[in-house]
Amino acid sequence: MTGWHLDEDIVRRYVERADSLTEGASVEQHLLSCEPCRARVNAAASVIELSVIDLAAVWDRTRNAVEVPRPSVFERLLRGAGLPAPEARLVAVASAFRGVWLTGVAAVLAFAALAAAMGHARGVWLFLSVAPVVPCLVVASSYDPWLDPALEPELVTPYPVLRLILLRTIAVLALALPAVLLFGLVVPGETAFAWLLPAVGFVALVLAASTWVSPLRSAIVVSCAWLTVVWLLATRSRSPEAVLQGRAQAGFLVLAAASFAIFLLRRRQLRQLRPWR
Amino acid sequence: MDSRPSDEMLLLAVAECDMGAFRTLYERHAGWLAIRLARRCNDRDLVADAIQDTFVAVWQKPQGFRADGDIAAWLWGIAIRRLVSRLRTHSSVAAVFEHVEAAPAAEDQVLLSVEYGDIGQALARLSPEMRAVIQAVVLDGLSAREAAHLLDVPVSSVKTRLYRAKARLRAALAEGPS
Repeated sequence: MTGWHLDEDIVRRYVERADSLTEGASVEQHLLSCEPCRARVNAAASVIELSVIDLAAVWDRTRNAVEVPRPSVFERLLRGAGLPAPEARLVAVASAFRGVWLTGVAAVLAFAALAAAMGHARGVWLFLSVAPVVPCLVVASSYDPWLDPALEPELVTPYPVLRLILLRTIAVLALALPAVLLFGLVVPGETAFAWLLPAVGFVALVLAASTWVSPLRSAIVVSCAWLTVVWLLATRSRSPEAVLQGRAQAGFLVLAAASFAIFLLRRRQLRQLRPWR
Repeated sequence: MDSRPSDEMLLLAVAECDMGAFRTLYERHAGWLAIRLARRCNDRDLVADAIQDTFVAVWQKPQGFRADGDIAAWLWGIAIRRLVSRLRTHSSVAAVFEHVEAAPAAEDQVLLSVEYGDIGQALARLSPEMRAVIQAVVLDGLSAREAAHLLDVPVSSVKTRLYRAKARLRAALAEGPS
């Protein structure tokens, strides 16, 4: 610290840019290490109003820029896949991607797969009943307005809801299907993959049904129906073959195609997407 | 002693995501940074953008400051480079180094000889282009490439002008005051 400070004339000349190169350089060198003189330059600039830069506006922009949360890993992944940034955000904010939810789904699946791998006859049934409904429940929750309050403003903004829901569905399936497949690897026999077509059929059914009722409600109804069917089959035939037969699989394919066609035909009704409550 | 927190304390608070400390840091430094940047670039919007970039960078990496100097100097180092990188994407806008050269008053001469000896007069005799290069490279500490972007001239021109300017200064100083 030197006792030397800028005098008022020098500060004024500096701010008005009426100084020479050497004097300016001298001032700037001094400013780097002298807080009181910096404060005086700030004050002089605001009084003379030569500073055309609106520092308050710049502050607002700066604060907005730093307050935007950093995109999640998943969102960055979506952007990397070529999705524009605003859409990546819309897709990624779906509640289905919140860690807790995914952890819960994984836990249920792990439990079912483990039971099946332990060799219990009922374990295979358990996996078979849980695996196909997981994707449709996850998809429904990814766009149910009750679970995702962020969706409501999105629905009133002129954003193509159909596109949003399809994008989310694809993103959800891209996350959920590999997980279910992974757990399916520990399940013996064909059962490990038999649930795939039913799962696709149920997802399409939920999409179609959500043009009438809440997505979550339709997913729960579909899940309950499936569980009832599996339970009935289990008590009557004691064999999981029934849902694996070629004819049943073809039925799921038809269900998927028909539901998706209905969904596309009634896509205008998505505007009135109803929350669970 | 005043009880205001030092810049170092503010920066530590910013590392803890303290918005109030960030605001104080901004209010202390944005003003003089803007004035100093505006002396290097006539486009006010670019200067405003550079200020914003600077403080966003501070918010994101406050630990970039190594406790070996003034925070003001660290901020300036970020700010001038942000301005240069902004200029790089707006190549149509040229930074202008034009000083309203007032004839140095008598007391200024005293100041200059105190601060720089006779180098002030030697600098005053350089062409504006050479002075701009001296300011960017010697006084602002930019690399030749950064100075080239700031002044919107080829890197080779920066190097030759710097070389010639130094030779002139050396000759002028060897000559002694005329």
